[in-house]
Amino acid sequence: MRGAALPAALVSTALGLAIAFAPRSAWMSSVVTFAVTATVVAVLPIPRGCLDCVFFGCWVSIVASAATVHLRGGLNAPAAMALSLNSGLWSGAAVALAGSHVDLLKALPCVFALFPTALSVRLRMPMAAKVVSSWLIAMAILAATLQFLPVTPGYMPDHLD
Amino acid sequence: MIRRARKGVLIAMLLLGSSADAHVGTGLAGGFASGFEHPFTGIDHLLAMISVGLWGAFLGRPLIYALPVIFPAVMVGGAVLGMLNVPMPPVEAGIALSVLVLGGCIALSAKAPIWAACLIVATFAVFHGYAHGKELPSAADPIGYSVGFVLATGLLHVFGICVGFLTHRPRGLIATRAIGGVIGGIGAWLLYKAIGD
Repeated sequence: MRGAALPAALVSTALGLAIAFAPRSAWMSSVVTFAVTATVVAVLPIPRGCLDCVFFGCWVSIVASAATVHLRGGLNAPAAMALSLNSGLWSGAAVALAGSHVDLLKALPCVFALFPTALSVRLRMPMAAKVVSSWLIAMAILAATLQFLPVTPGYMPDHLD
Repeated sequence: MIRRARKGVLIAMLLLGSSADAHVGTGLAGGFASGFEHPFTGIDHLLAMISVGLWGAFLGRPLIYALPVIFPAVMVGGAVLGMLNVPMPPVEAGIALSVLVLGGCIALSAKAPIWAACLIVATFAVFHGYAHGKELPSAADPIGYSVGFVLATGLLHVFGICVGFLTHRPRGLIATRAIGGVIGGIGAWLLYKAIGD
């Protein structure tokens, strides 16, 4: 099974974390850019052959967005906008190829991770956001690697059996 | 009114349900729910994760947040080694040893230098990742499984850190060291079992 809701939601969450470290004036335009791009791309006819490439693009986008959280000084406004455009593109494409519009409705609100993250920054606890961003990076790297590896079936006994 | 309520329920069902839900967390060990649940079902992994957070809280900054960052990151590397079937020393013994050592460090209130704490945690993360990489399901949503698994691991670290904050309370230090002792004891038992097998 390969649904689009989870990758799109993770892309959205990673973007939310990244935007929280951008200037406040860039928040609204970034969120709108992301939502509009994702919605437009989700209705485009994308060739089925691009499926693996699109999923890989989602994982790379998550790593890129989550990594910006660790930048000194955070993102500037143009970079936040570029990241939003990129995230919207990949999450929309994933939904277009492997999901439904309901998946997009589930994924888009995850960008509002922006608000708890911004609160953690304001409370001088940006480390919480940085720890979460590192988990997102770990998840994305593992998911990207899975595309290239023969993984074991889930019905085999595990190390606790 | 009833019509409105029906409409609301219908919209909620459309938003929250999907055709894939029928296969997630049931039957084959796959999907986000299954991956999220997995660390909670094995005492070895559960105790090691909590210990990492607890020891980090014990050691203070920067390890309080460095250890929960290092563990999942290196665990992913271990998982890849497991999926590639790269030969490793006995993984069961390594996992049991991680519970013993981390519990022991907390019990003894070991103030390891930053590099040593990072090295210890990273080494054990390889064993935990390897074991779970070997059993990562391909049959039913391995991506959902791995996301759930990493998230649950991280949350267990956070739980360990919260337990570690007990040290700031009167007699908290004794309580956390006692918890470490119990974890270390269980680790010794797991190691005995792993070597015996």
